[in-house]
Amino acid sequence: MLTVSVISPEAVLFEGTTESVVAPAFDGQVGILTGHAPMVTLLGKGELRLGTAGQRFNVEGGFVQVVDDVVRVVTERASAV
Amino acid sequence: MAKGRELKGRIKSVENTRKITRTMEMVATSKMKRAQDRVVSARPYANALTDVISSLYSPDLAERFPLLRQVSAPKRVALVVLTSNRGLAGGFNANLIKQARVQIAELEKTNVKVEVHVIGKKGIGYFKYVGRELKSSRIDVTDRPTAENASEIVDALMKEFIDGELDGVYVTYSKFNSVLNTPPTTDRVLPVTPPVAKEGGVQRDYLLFPSAEAILTDLLPSYVRNAIYRALVETVAGEQAARRTAMKNATDNAGDILNVLRRTYNRARQAQITQEIAEIVGGAAALQG
Repeated sequence: MLTVSVISPEAVLFEGTTESVVAPAFDGQVGILTGHAPMVTLLGKGELRLGTAGQRFNVEGGFVQVVDDVVRVVTERASAV
Repeated sequence: MAKGRELKGRIKSVENTRKITRTMEMVATSKMKRAQDRVVSARPYANALTDVISSLYSPDLAERFPLLRQVSAPKRVALVVLTSNRGLAGGFNANLIKQARVQIAELEKTNVKVEVHVIGKKGIGYFKYVGRELKSSRIDVTDRPTAENASEIVDALMKEFIDGELDGVYVTYSKFNSVLNTPPTTDRVLPVTPPVAKEGGVQRDYLLFPSAEAILTDLLPSYVRNAIYRALVETVAGEQAARRTAMKNATDNAGDILNVLRRTYNRARQAQITQEIAEIVGGAAALQG
């Protein structure tokens, strides 16, 4: 399981565990599962999906940081879908 | 009993004032709680940004980023002064303005031209009074500042800084350490002081997309905007905390004044009754005589 938090400048929008994260990176979607190598990638604009049936957010700008199955999605603008 | 009626009027008036200050105190308390929550919930973002920037930043990269450009002899800097739109908050605005004035004087002593940008009616009023020209002023930042407010304020300044028209940007705001500790503070926003990695933290080898440089180029402006956003929310929290304290004192003072007035009133009333009885007794005794 991944420990995921979705953070905007104003608040933490999501905190919890999911089995996967699909994030809109600057150059296309990036999928993250458990055991991912440490990574920092810039975000573009699009839909962030947590799990297969989990929550979705519209995000724009910012970055995703993955380290030891902890995923931080830090974005300038985010709203729940 | 002319004096008694006069006292009664004053008691009524103080009671009414106390009602108002007590209400304001309660309103400020609830607003302060919400503002405090916003200060707290702004922290994870700042921490995450700081964390990543400090792990990617290395001093040899510094020269490549215009936002980190250190100027040895600044000629023109901008000072953003955050104040509130409303008064009745004790020394809150006065303290901020004093801090800004000291800062301006200090900068101008070294022959730096200071452009002043003011947020909030109270600050605008002061600088208008002393006749200082303001580069910009706005009063539309509410009790709930947004990240957009911050970027509206600082984006233009960042551009000027990159173009070399400005050599520094400072912000004067009220730092929110705790409810009772909100000192007016001036921070340098530009050039950015890159956060340093915490001692003992494990440095990880991240896969970086597209590259450390590109990520920093993107995140440094966010970092600057976030610094302003935090200053905005902390100032609002500080304002409400200051107003709450001021209104609590006013309510307490009204209570003290009421006690004194009531005592004086009762004494006067009693004295009058005693006198009336004495007169009646005296009259009756004269009739019997």
